[in-house]
Amino acid sequence: MVSFERYKLKNGLTVLLHHDKTTPMVVVNTLYDVGARDENENKTGFAHLFEHLMFGGSANISDFDKELQKAGGESNAFTSNDITNYYDIIPAQNIETALWLESDRMFSLAFTDKSLEVQRNVVIEEFKQRYLNQPYGDVWLELRPLAYEKHPYKWATIGKDIAHIENANMEDVKSFFKKYYCPANAILCIAGNYDESGIKSIIEKYYGSIPGGLRPSRLNPAEPKQNSFKTKVIYRDVPSNAFYYGFKMGTRKSSDYYIGDIMSDALGKDNSSILNIALKKELEFVTEINAFITGSLDDGLFIISGKLADGVDFDDLDKALWGQLEEIKRIGIDNDKLESLKNKINTAKAFQEQGLLNRSINLSFFELLGDANGVNEEGFIYQKISCNDLILFASDVLIRNNCSLLKVAINDR
Amino acid sequence: MIDRNTAPPIQKIQSIEFICPQTIEINAAVKLLWTKNVPNETSRIDLYYNAGLRNGRNIIASLCSSLLLSGTKDKSTTEIHKQIDQLGAFFDIGLSHEGVMISIFALKENIFEAFCIINEAIQCAVFPDKEISEKIRVKKEKHKINFGKVSFLAQRKFQEKIFYNSPYSELTNLEDFDNISKNEIIEFHENFFQKGLFKVAVVGNIKESEIDSIISKCKDSCIDKPLEYYTAFGNFSGVFHEEKQSAVQSAIRIGKILFNKTHSDFIDFSILNTVLGDYFGSRLMKNIREDKGYTYGIGSAIAETGGSGYFIIGSEVGIQHREPALKEIQNELEKLCSKEMSHKELELVKNYLLGQMLKAADGPYAMMDLFLSVDTYALNMDYYNEFIERIHQIDPKEIMSISQKYLKWDTMSVVSVG
Repeated sequence: MVSFERYKLKNGLTVLLHHDKTTPMVVVNTLYDVGARDENENKTGFAHLFEHLMFGGSANISDFDKELQKAGGESNAFTSNDITNYYDIIPAQNIETALWLESDRMFSLAFTDKSLEVQRNVVIEEFKQRYLNQPYGDVWLELRPLAYEKHPYKWATIGKDIAHIENANMEDVKSFFKKYYCPANAILCIAGNYDESGIKSIIEKYYGSIPGGLRPSRLNPAEPKQNSFKTKVIYRDVPSNAFYYGFKMGTRKSSDYYIGDIMSDALGKDNSSILNIALKKELEFVTEINAFITGSLDDGLFIISGKLADGVDFDDLDKALWGQLEEIKRIGIDNDKLESLKNKINTAKAFQEQGLLNRSINLSFFELLGDANGVNEEGFIYQKISCNDLILFASDVLIRNNCSLLKVAINDR
Repeated sequence: MIDRNTAPPIQKIQSIEFICPQTIEINAAVKLLWTKNVPNETSRIDLYYNAGLRNGRNIIASLCSSLLLSGTKDKSTTEIHKQIDQLGAFFDIGLSHEGVMISIFALKENIFEAFCIINEAIQCAVFPDKEISEKIRVKKEKHKINFGKVSFLAQRKFQEKIFYNSPYSELTNLEDFDNISKNEIIEFHENFFQKGLFKVAVVGNIKESEIDSIISKCKDSCIDKPLEYYTAFGNFSGVFHEEKQSAVQSAIRIGKILFNKTHSDFIDFSILNTVLGDYFGSRLMKNIREDKGYTYGIGSAIAETGGSGYFIIGSEVGIQHREPALKEIQNELEKLCSKEMSHKELELVKNYLLGQMLKAADGPYAMMDLFLSVDTYALNMDYYNEFIERIHQIDPKEIMSISQKYLKWDTMSVVSVG
């Protein structure tokens, strides 16, 4: 059970407090409700580039990291298609330093040309390192636009094209900040061993005077229902043929998310999963096979991916894979297996909740979903899932007309 | 209105309380470490075996550790995995030059049973042919994928130069996968798993009687005399570049042989390492990422081996930035040797390190890991108190003199691929 208190400042900033007296540390987590899905299609990669700029100095403080490190703290951030999340981990006695820093960059950035120029280059190198310079690195750059036709999930967080990052200008930066980086669009979670009696007044001191701004509306085009199977082959210098089956599924808030999560564990999480046993161990068609869900806030994807063994072609795998999926739709999975999966989810959750940082990020994320207390409820949702739920999910989601298949084939040139 | 221009006052960390786990001797050479005080339901058991790469051909050590749960004469690998799954348990197998560490994670009511299943599977492994050939296929595939990564290629080349002319410089090649005998695996298993357990660490509020059973089940597989480690390393210095067609980035690895925690300069060098490349505001990050934008990341570290250790700088930079990046790295090392750092910068590093230390000591798992990382070198928690004391004392002059002693550019092995 993760206990917390929630309230709102007058300017609209949502605050979550989670006290833990067993740790000497404090985490200050700030979640902004903005991600790559909020970008203009001609200026992709911007939410993530912006995350880098948030470390480039704010209105009154020229060097964010330096001040935090001086107080014994450290910081990082991540951007997804849905959110941008910043955290500071700092010895509890120096919590005020973190609040001073985070509130100043929520108040206003410094917007220096040097910072923009350098971070553009840094992000371009990140693009190369993660997506271009390794086998299969560009798979998500290809799979997203294959699976999504209208929704902004069709581009990756890093962006569609390096040119978009190269062309980002100061005007874009400023208007992005103005629109999305305001108290009304943020959730602040303080977790750890802070002084309970003084915490609210100190939060008010640093955040209370920031103008609230307007919570931006989000009008993303809905992804139309897919009616036919889609496929694409790309040729690359890779050691073996690889496949990525992407099936459209429901949103993070739908029951699809929880059922899909268990379904993906059952099919392809580890050695004893259904596809590992059938396609890797028994048929020896693949050297690797995995299943997982993207867990996106809007309609997500259920992915089955893997690499073909030498001498096996895509069609052999395709037939065998659909055979397995049909079997699931007919009989589901056995109860022992379902119990095992639930037990593993329980254990994983207990370990996850050990970490202060995890707790504070999870509280913030669930608050974005609607209620931070979701952290304490999701365990029960998993426990209630039945074999029949899995059969229904498979029959609804894991079907050919709902599938986009990307093949990465060995370049024979 | 609040004054946003002035930083709030900072409270410096003076000392940290380090708590040792309970130590129980299994025999004269092997002990079990136990932290019982865990404020939740989780638990972890780590088993350390003397089955590292140093004890055989790389490919054999690697196959053997990844085939530990491949089946016994009574149970198939699938049955073993199913039993572990039913308990909601997870495990992780880590292989290094020095050994194999197996970590088991579970809720405390299940951890003992999970241990029993895994321990029995390891001790009674029979290495079925089908499992061996499957594992070879999978590993070969991963190896081929790795060969497409400049970071992997640079790491290999670096390993050759850093461990020059020693048993640790052996690399795995594609043809090794076609030259494997089952007997070699079985023999390795007999020598280093059935008689190779050298440490057990338990974190979790489990029963005394379960600890007793773990000890009695482990007894037969323990080593009977302390391990010895190779110490006579010397890196091959110089600058080495390898072209890789179509690469858009070059991977850089720079380093030299140094020492581990037992050396009297280790603490000073650790502080120097932080200044140079071990935090976001480090000299290398500030220059090569935040000023020049040559890379997404650059860092430095000290890696320890049982009997020695080495220093390493690593980064991936755009191919057009390779030469200027190398030049800038060299400049940063030379600057540390020729110019005293400011008190202000050192003060920042000190505070940062103390904060990191506090975080590294947060909670029973973190505390056990701190203990394990000194116990390996026959040190105890006093080491961390000394570290803290030294952080408070060290001055810019001493940072410069430790730089001059160990950061000379021409003593480094400088490797790049791409």
